[in-house]
Amino acid sequence: MAALGARRLLRPGRRWFSETVPGAPSLPGSPLYPPVVASITAKSKAAKSRRLERFNQRVHAAATVEEKLRLYGKLQRPKYMVYPQTFALNADRWYRSFTKTVLVPGMPPRAAAAKFPVAAAGAILESGRAPELGAEAPGDAVAPGAMKTPEPAAEAAPYVDIGKLRSLACDALLQESFYQNKKRPFLYRDQDHTPGPFLTQLVSTLAASLSGRNPLLAASSLDLGPEVNYYWHHGEEVVVHGHRKGRIDPVRFQIDDNPHLQIRVPKQLPEVVPLESDLGDVPVIDHKPSKLPLFKKQYENKVFIGSKVADPCCYGHTQFHLLPDKLKRERFIKQRLEDQIEVVYRSNGIASLFAWTAAQAMYQGFWSEADVTRPFVSQAVVTDGKYFAFFCYQLNTLALTAETIKNNPRKNICWGTDSKPLYDVVEDGNVKGFNDEVLLHLVHFLLNRPKEL
Amino acid sequence: VFPGVRQAQWLTKTKLVEGLPPAVQGIMDNPALGLQELEERAKHVVSHARLWDTTEVAPRREKYCPALFENLIHICRLMSGKYPSLSKRMLARNCRIAATWERESILLQVRGLSGILMNSMIPIPPVASKEEILATKEHVLETFYPIAPTIDLQEVNVYRELNDTGQCFRDGYPYSHPHTLFFLESANVRTDRFRPEQLRAKMLMFAFGNALAKAKALHGNDPKVLEQPVVVQSIGTDGQLFQFMVFQLNTTDLVSNDGVKNLVWIDSDQKLYERAQCVPEVKKRVVTKPAGIYGFQPDTFKKFLALYLHGTV
Repeated sequence: MAALGARRLLRPGRRWFSETVPGAPSLPGSPLYPPVVASITAKSKAAKSRRLERFNQRVHAAATVEEKLRLYGKLQRPKYMVYPQTFALNADRWYRSFTKTVLVPGMPPRAAAAKFPVAAAGAILESGRAPELGAEAPGDAVAPGAMKTPEPAAEAAPYVDIGKLRSLACDALLQESFYQNKKRPFLYRDQDHTPGPFLTQLVSTLAASLSGRNPLLAASSLDLGPEVNYYWHHGEEVVVHGHRKGRIDPVRFQIDDNPHLQIRVPKQLPEVVPLESDLGDVPVIDHKPSKLPLFKKQYENKVFIGSKVADPCCYGHTQFHLLPDKLKRERFIKQRLEDQIEVVYRSNGIASLFAWTAAQAMYQGFWSEADVTRPFVSQAVVTDGKYFAFFCYQLNTLALTAETIKNNPRKNICWGTDSKPLYDVVEDGNVKGFNDEVLLHLVHFLLNRPKEL
Repeated sequence: VFPGVRQAQWLTKTKLVEGLPPAVQGIMDNPALGLQELEERAKHVVSHARLWDTTEVAPRREKYCPALFENLIHICRLMSGKYPSLSKRMLARNCRIAATWERESILLQVRGLSGILMNSMIPIPPVASKEEILATKEHVLETFYPIAPTIDLQEVNVYRELNDTGQCFRDGYPYSHPHTLFFLESANVRTDRFRPEQLRAKMLMFAFGNALAKAKALHGNDPKVLEQPVVVQSIGTDGQLFQFMVFQLNTTDLVSNDGVKNLVWIDSDQKLYERAQCVPEVKKRVVTKPAGIYGFQPDTFKKFLALYLHGTV
C-alpha cells in the first residue's frame, strides 16, 4: 500500500526527471544507487556489527585524546572490578589471563648492561639470557642479582655510593620506627603507622640524592596516593538476566588502584625486548571471572594515570605499593596458605602495572582498535614495609577484545622477583641485618632511564 | 580581638622586622642557583596540584593544598643533586610539640600538632648580627593595657610541665636541629581555616616553642641570653597565599620585659598565583579564558626555595 502510494508520488517526479537532458551519462564508475548496507537499528548481527563499526569510526576520528577517552568509556554497563591487592587464591594466574600477560621470574638483564663498562656487560648479558627463556627456578632470580653485586662493589665508587644510600635508608627507617614518638597505631592500621611513612621518606630521599645521576628523575613528578584507573574488554559472555538477556556481550573489567607513591616522567622508559617477542605462555582459564571471586558493578568507566592528559609528565617510571594489614604474611601463615604470599605480590604487580601502562598508552591515543606501535615500560615495587618485591612490565598490546585478539600474536610481559626482606629487625636505634641487595635493586630501578640521557 | 601577631610578640618577647632577612635575600639573588629554569617547573607543579591531580573537574582544597606542598618540596629536594649537603635533612609529619615558659609571672605553654617539621643535622647560623641583637634592648614591647595579654588564651591547669622537642624525638636522633615548620591550612570550609593574621600568630608561637625547646636542650633550663641564638623558620600556606617567617631566639630570659629580645622576620601574604582556571570560561560560544594558571609569581617560589636552602648554601 505504501508502495502504491509511493509510485503515485514518484510518477510526476519521474516525468520531471525525464524532461532533463536525456541520455546524459552519469560519471563513469560512480554507482547509481547508494551502497546496500545493513540497517543501524535492527536487532540483527549485521546491524550490531555496523553499529560497532560506526562507533570505532567515531573514536578513530576524535580530535583530542580527552574526546577519545570520553567516547571510549561512554557506555556504562555492569563490569568486573579487578582489585590489584586481593586475597583471592591464585589470583595472579587469573589476572594474567585477563590481561594476556606472560610472567618471567627474575629481572630483565638490560639494567646491568646499561650501567657498567662494556667488558662486564658482555658477561652479564650471557647469563642474563637464561632467565628470559620461560619459567626458571626462583634461584635464577637471585643469580642476576648476585652477578650484579660483585660488579657494583668494584665499580661502586664512581657510580653509586652505596654506603651513603644505606645510611639514608637506615635513617628513614629509624626515624619512623624508633626516634619519632608516635601514638599507638590505630586498630588494624599498622601499615599507616610505620611502614607507610617509612616508604614515603625512603623513596623521596633516595630519588632526591639520585637525581644528580639520573636527569630523568630531576624532571620527574612525585605523586603521593594517586589514583590509577583503567577500563577494558576481554572475551565474550552471554547476558544472564535482565531485559538484555540472551545477547552476546564483551566481558568488561575495571581496575581502580591507589599506589602509595608513584614517579611520573616526561620521557618514556626504553623497551626491554622487541615488540613481538614471545617469552612464554598466557594461562587459559575456562571458568567465568566471577569464580575468582570477582564481582560486577556499574559505574563510571575511568582511564587515569595519576594526572590529566594535559600534564607533560605523561609516562610512568616507578610505582610503590604498600600491602594493607589484611594481606600481611602472618595471616597467611596462620591460615596455612604460605604459597599464596608470593601470589599477593605478583597479582598486585601485574594488575597495577597493566592498568598504568595501558592508561599511559591510551593517553597517547592508542586503544584496542589502534594497537600500540611502541612498547610501554614501567616498574613497580610492592612491599609490606619489610619485604620488597620488584616488577617490570612491558605493554606490547592493548588489543584484548574478542575481535581484535583473534589475529594478535603479541603478549604483554611482566618480570618479577620474589619478596626479600630489606632488614631483619630494628632494635635500640640499630638496624640489624640490612640487606644491600634489595637496596641496590631499588637504586637500579630509580636510575633507569632512556639511552640518550 | 587584636591582630594576633602583636599579641604573640608580647607573649614571646619578640621584635618584628618586616620582610625577609638579608641572608635569605642573598640566596634568592644568587644567580648560581639556576632559579630561572626552576620557574618553568614550578609553574607545572602548580598546574598539577590545582588542575590535573584528580579525575573530577577540579580538586578540592583538602587535596590540592597538600599536593602543592609536596610538589614544591619535591622540587626543592631535587636540588640536592647539586648541593649534596641538602640530603642531611629529614621531614617529620605529625610532630607533637610542647614548650613551657613564664612571662611576667604568667605561665604559658604551647602544645599541639605542629604540622610538618623539617629537621636538619646542621643548625642554621644566626641571621642577625650581634649589634642588632643588642639593639633590641632598646625596643619596648607593645602592651595592650588595659587588656590583659593573655586574652583569648585557654587557661588550663597544667600538672606536668613538658618541655622538649625531645618529647617529639628520642635522644640520639641524628637530625636534631629543627629547621623549618610547615603549616597547611587545607580545610575546605573557609571558617575552618585560620585567617592569614591568625596563621602568622600560630606560626610564631610554634616556631618559638620549637626554638625554646631546642635551646633548653642545648643550654639547660636556666633563663639566660644565648651565646648561639637558635634560628627556626616557618612557612604557612592555604594553597595560594604564603606566609614566610624566620625566627631567632636570642634569650630564654622571658620573665622580665627588658633586656635582649627575640627577633622575627615576617614576609606575609605572598601570592603564588592569581587564579587557577579549571574549566575554560566560555561566553557566547567563544572561549574567553582558556584553562590554566593566571598570574604566576615566581618570586614567591624563589622565597620558598631560599628558605629551604638556608643554612646549607
